[in-house]
Amino acid sequence: MTPPVIRFDDLGQVFRTEAGRAVTALDRVSFDIGRHEFVAVLGPSGCGKSTLLRLIAGLIAPTRGAVEIYGMRVTEPRDEIGIVFQRPTLLPWFDVLGNVTFPMRHKYGRVTEVERARARDLLALVDLADFADKRIDELSGGMQQRVAIARALLLDPDILLMDEPFSALDALTRDEMSFELLRIWSDRPKTVLFITHSIPEAVLLADRIVVMTPRPGRVREILDVPLPRPRSMATLTDPTFHALADHIRGSLFSRPAAA
Amino acid sequence: MPSPITSVAVSSPVPPQPEAATETAPPDARAPLSVWLDRSAPAVAFLAVLAAWEGATRLFAIPSFLLPAPSAVVTAALATPLEVWLGHVWATLRVALMGYGLAILVSVPLAVALASSRLLSRTLYPLLVVVQSTPIVAIAPIIVVTLGASDLPRIVITFLITFFPIVVSTVTGLLSTPEELIELSRSLRAGRTREILHIRLPYALPHLFSALKISTTLAVIGAVVAEFVAAERGLGFFILFSTSFFKIPAAFAGLVLLVAISLLLFRLVGLVQKRLVPWSLPKSER
Repeated sequence: MTPPVIRFDDLGQVFRTEAGRAVTALDRVSFDIGRHEFVAVLGPSGCGKSTLLRLIAGLIAPTRGAVEIYGMRVTEPRDEIGIVFQRPTLLPWFDVLGNVTFPMRHKYGRVTEVERARARDLLALVDLADFADKRIDELSGGMQQRVAIARALLLDPDILLMDEPFSALDALTRDEMSFELLRIWSDRPKTVLFITHSIPEAVLLADRIVVMTPRPGRVREILDVPLPRPRSMATLTDPTFHALADHIRGSLFSRPAAA
Repeated sequence: MPSPITSVAVSSPVPPQPEAATETAPPDARAPLSVWLDRSAPAVAFLAVLAAWEGATRLFAIPSFLLPAPSAVVTAALATPLEVWLGHVWATLRVALMGYGLAILVSVPLAVALASSRLLSRTLYPLLVVVQSTPIVAIAPIIVVTLGASDLPRIVITFLITFFPIVVSTVTGLLSTPEELIELSRSLRAGRTREILHIRLPYALPHLFSALKISTTLAVIGAVVAEFVAAERGLGFFILFSTSFFKIPAAFAGLVLLVAISLLLFRLVGLVQKRLVPWSLPKSER
């Protein structure tokens, strides 16, 4: 059997506060993510969701257990990964195209015509084909986040890590971006780990939802989302959608069972 | 300026304002007087102060060694030959620019070092604060004695008064880089050098330019302080020399030139910023 794309094996993360107190961000997290699977990690603030993402990205080392990518233990950042953050964090001194090609320039020191053409394709993919030479401050928040998605896709990663990418957007743009992301994902299938604290967003987007408990962050339950794809506006009125969302809501607001 | 792009993204047509139809007043339709006042208010205020100054000195017959009238200052300025003025201006400007340049050359790498290493920052920062807390006017004579009578002590004095704001602002800028971009850089394994060159330093540019503007004025102050201590040329020397002979109008003329140099350098740095890094300015100033 081939190993899963991402495996969390009894993962634990303890931080020391400045006062020297130990804070358990993640505790006994174990689950697998399959190829081209879209997994949402859902939980309240302080459940270690972002820590989970940084562990996969190899930006921090776990204090216990391991993260494996393709069966190999993650000890440093790897090439298979693209990250989209909560804020677009684009570079104001580059135009849109310059921002999309930035990972290339930053990693290898130069950008070839091939990459520039690739970046233009990606801009077309995120519906910004005509904005390649615009300045960043000429773009709305939603458009900036699309540029950030294109930037994350530039080096063609197998794995896309998204850390509450739409939480800084207004509600209408947020819905629009969810459908955009689904369209992009169907066009360029990737293994996606999507961090969110929005229940409808998780249900609409994901194949599976990992529900986390806060302090310490543990996996409360893992739910399959049996909604058919492609998903659309109609999905939002599907009874299954509401049943699942209600279930998660109940699960999140009930007291955690004694571990 | 309304940007057409944002309206595409939002794509929510704004309902026409009922007042908009009746009150279609273009900006130029205001009373001509108020438009004129709006544009020339600074110049008018400046001239008014000059006029009041001139009037007061005449009305109360203030002796020119206490407060010379603007007209007396102009007369004194014209009494000194142009090449003498240029010699003094050049002497002061040269010291100010060399001290300023030295401050930039030292401060930016120093700021990178301080921002990169916690140990360095903990070791050097207190020392820098001690240097900054030392009154430069008090230390200037010591520096002149130590380094001898040349341009060198003057440049060092200018440097000492100029470099601290540049270091502090650049460090602030380097550390204000969004954490996500540093994580992006690390996830790409681009290396520390590229992280600093491609992300941190550009992010520090708005802060750096704020400090560079402040430092132009400080550089002129530094040059004048140095000339007060030991010099035989320069506007600071000229002012000191003139006052010791009670030629107060001439001293005022030198002062006006110093202000002009400060303003010019300040403006010049502003233009460089506008030209090279327009994104670092607020939209209204581009």
